[in-house]
Amino acid sequence: MRRSKAGGDEDTPRQNGSSGRRRAEHGDGEDAGVDSCPAGMQDEDDENDLGLRREIRSKYRDLINSVQQNREDMLSPSNNKLTEVLEEANKLFKDVRQAREAALDAQLLVVATDLGKEKASQLFYEGSAFDPTAFAEHLLSFMGLNRLEDEEDDHQNEATRDGYLPKDAWHRLAKHTEGCFSTAPSFHYMMGSFHAEPPPPKQRVERQRRVPSKEAKRIMPTQLKKMEESHQEATEKEVERILGFLKSYHQDDPSSPLSYYEFVVDPNSFSRTVENIFHFSFLIRDGLARMYLDDDKLPCVAPVEEGEMEAAGSSTRKQCIISMSPKIWKEIVETFEIRETIIPPPETQNE
Amino acid sequence: MSQRKRLSNTQSSSQNKRQSSSSVTQEEDEDATFTQPSTSQVQRGLEKLTPAQVDQKTAEVVQYFLMKDQKKIPVRRADLVKYVVKDYRTIYPEIIKRAARTFEQVFGLKLVEIDPKHHMYILVNNLETATSRAAPVECPTNPKMGLLFVILSVIFMKGGTVKENLIWNTLKKLRVDPGQKHEEFGDVKKVVTDEFVRQKYLEYLRIPHTEPVEYEFRWGPRADAEVSKARILEFMGKLHEQDPRSWTQQYREAHATQNSS
Amino acid sequence: MSRQLGDGHRRFLQTMMGVYIIDELKAKALYQYCCETFKMQCAADRLDEFIETINLKLQPMFMQVRKGMSEENGHQYYALVNTAETDITRMTSDYADNELELFRKTMDLIVGSEKGTASSTDILNSTDTMTSKKLKKSETEHLLTRLVQDKWLCEKRGEYTLSTRCIIEMEPYIRSMYQDQVKMCHICHNVAFQCQICENPSCGIKIHNPCVARYFKGKMEPQCPACDDFWPHEIPEVRGLRSQSKK
Repeated sequence: MRRSKAGGDEDTPRQNGSSGRRRAEHGDGEDAGVDSCPAGMQDEDDENDLGLRREIRSKYRDLINSVQQNREDMLSPSNNKLTEVLEEANKLFKDVRQAREAALDAQLLVVATDLGKEKASQLFYEGSAFDPTAFAEHLLSFMGLNRLEDEEDDHQNEATRDGYLPKDAWHRLAKHTEGCFSTAPSFHYMMGSFHAEPPPPKQRVERQRRVPSKEAKRIMPTQLKKMEESHQEATEKEVERILGFLKSYHQDDPSSPLSYYEFVVDPNSFSRTVENIFHFSFLIRDGLARMYLDDDKLPCVAPVEEGEMEAAGSSTRKQCIISMSPKIWKEIVETFEIRETIIPPPETQNE
Repeated sequence: MSQRKRLSNTQSSSQNKRQSSSSVTQEEDEDATFTQPSTSQVQRGLEKLTPAQVDQKTAEVVQYFLMKDQKKIPVRRADLVKYVVKDYRTIYPEIIKRAARTFEQVFGLKLVEIDPKHHMYILVNNLETATSRAAPVECPTNPKMGLLFVILSVIFMKGGTVKENLIWNTLKKLRVDPGQKHEEFGDVKKVVTDEFVRQKYLEYLRIPHTEPVEYEFRWGPRADAEVSKARILEFMGKLHEQDPRSWTQQYREAHATQNSS
Repeated sequence: MSRQLGDGHRRFLQTMMGVYIIDELKAKALYQYCCETFKMQCAADRLDEFIETINLKLQPMFMQVRKGMSEENGHQYYALVNTAETDITRMTSDYADNELELFRKTMDLIVGSEKGTASSTDILNSTDTMTSKKLKKSETEHLLTRLVQDKWLCEKRGEYTLSTRCIIEMEPYIRSMYQDQVKMCHICHNVAFQCQICENPSCGIKIHNPCVARYFKGKMEPQCPACDDFWPHEIPEVRGLRSQSKK
């Protein structure tokens, strides 16, 4: 392999030179024809020649692609692929008639010349040339490549060639080349990466009160604060009252499911219905009541037993949004035939 | 704003030439408006501050550098002034000098300005990395540095500039396909052309007049400051079982840069 | 007072930056290595003094090499920590804001629990109450792996605990932020998460497992050091041959 490397090196510029000659030869004979071909040549070509034209163009494109994609391999001193490509192009050029094909030939030539130039530069480089392909091979061995049992088509697919690298391959390489870098170690920390903040209170009831943050509360004028608190208390009281109804209703007949709509809808008052929906949501949030769908996919509700509480707290919470309009409310009242409310309005309303 | 105005006004008395250029760019971006204060300005600024204040600001600057270095992103002077130095900009040169001293004396690190035009700084290690005896405690290695090593080596060995395809094809041979998600590196193309580039290890430049568009790689200024070409060549020698001196050109370059730094 | 640092100190500090935390034995070996490599005086019992010299220089930057005990094995460890929260420290990008929120929630769960643990299920569920961008299940799992890799959490059979590194760095924070919930070990007086608890309801003191091992070693009928009640838990073995530090 090493031997042929030198040979390859010498070959390249010569080959490159001959490709130049090739072009000159063809050019001498057909220059005029190629130049004027858009106008002159087309008529001469038969209709059935179209297939051949297409084929030539497609072959040129394949060649250009292969040069572009296998650039490094072709550059590698140990192969003659560039020569092969140019010979192939020579063959194709014999049938070139149209400007489009000539343009492709020119394009291939540009690519090939560029490659040839680089190949030649390896020759003029003092000392050994650097061969990335060989480098990659050495690296693979260094990183501990497990080469699989010799499979013949080894060379066919460069990227997925058989053999796999061990899991720590890149760690290994990084470790061994560490000395090439004078990288500064960096400092990592957790404390100080976020705002200090005490955890939310653990109890559920307290969680409810936390809604306006401490900060906000402190700034609030005293009067407002009082109002806020009384509202809060009113909500809490109402939530508890509703829980009472839910529990007693459930106790009366624990086996039959209680429809959510029957529970919250007040057939005499739309606003009371909305209030009930609002207050009931707290029971769900605090894990005191649960909601589920019955066989008809209609929402049902039930209180959560004391014992169940813990388990419920840790299970996944879901959210749903219920919209309610006077129209929907009327429809529900009619569909469910709700005649009276389960949750009577609070008596202390006018207090 | 008033601070800035005042700054360039005083500048006019001491350094006429620079003032004229700064007034042109005054309204552009933060960095353009920031003109390096003169020595006398720094002196005057220091007189107005207590040593404790200056020390504290220096410590903040050190913290900022350390924090930015977590991801190896260079620090831009404009950001440093905006987020940390703030009202102390009149004594900026003094603060940078002290921060550099702290890095050297406490951490064994060197503060390097890698881009004098855009004023970017990085930290590099000032301590000898290779020691005769293995340390009893090994720092975990980042596998990405292996990837970076391969790329930097190829660029260096190929004379300083390579087309991107050479890099991608070399990586493909090493089972790293830029088009596929790699289990260690994730999006390889992004790591190489974005992360390494932002860290200034690499430059990824469009080659002019190419159709279709082609890109080439070069060493970035961080690599120049941080990576030893002589050591790369040494590793190459071991890997290829070849005398590093046989790559004459590279050997000469590696040892020229090493002497100059 | 302000003794200058040598390259040995610097190498020690740099290593600490890279490894985050090391046990006492390794710290001693590293200390010796640094001294020898950089031709400095080295005395085996001067490690803490050596570190103190470094700490004096780190103090202005709110950094410190801090010593603490592992709740797991009772050994002493050294960790490089950040000591203050500032506008600058909060700019760190090791973790995104929502990832930090989840870390805090995990801490809430662990500190609030009896045994100092949080199950992966509970952590996953706590994403429901996130206020920043909610983490998906897969993202949460990935984050937890990273937190373990970075040595902020430990994981055993789906149960997460605070790592020694985390406890050493976060101890002052935990003490002040979780004052109502956190308890100190009755023996070593540091915060206690993984520990045994006195079952006398009017007592309920906590003792770290390794502290239990050391305290009750060789005692036939273990009694609570606070209330003299019978200590009903299994007494673990003292682990390792390493010196239990003369703290």
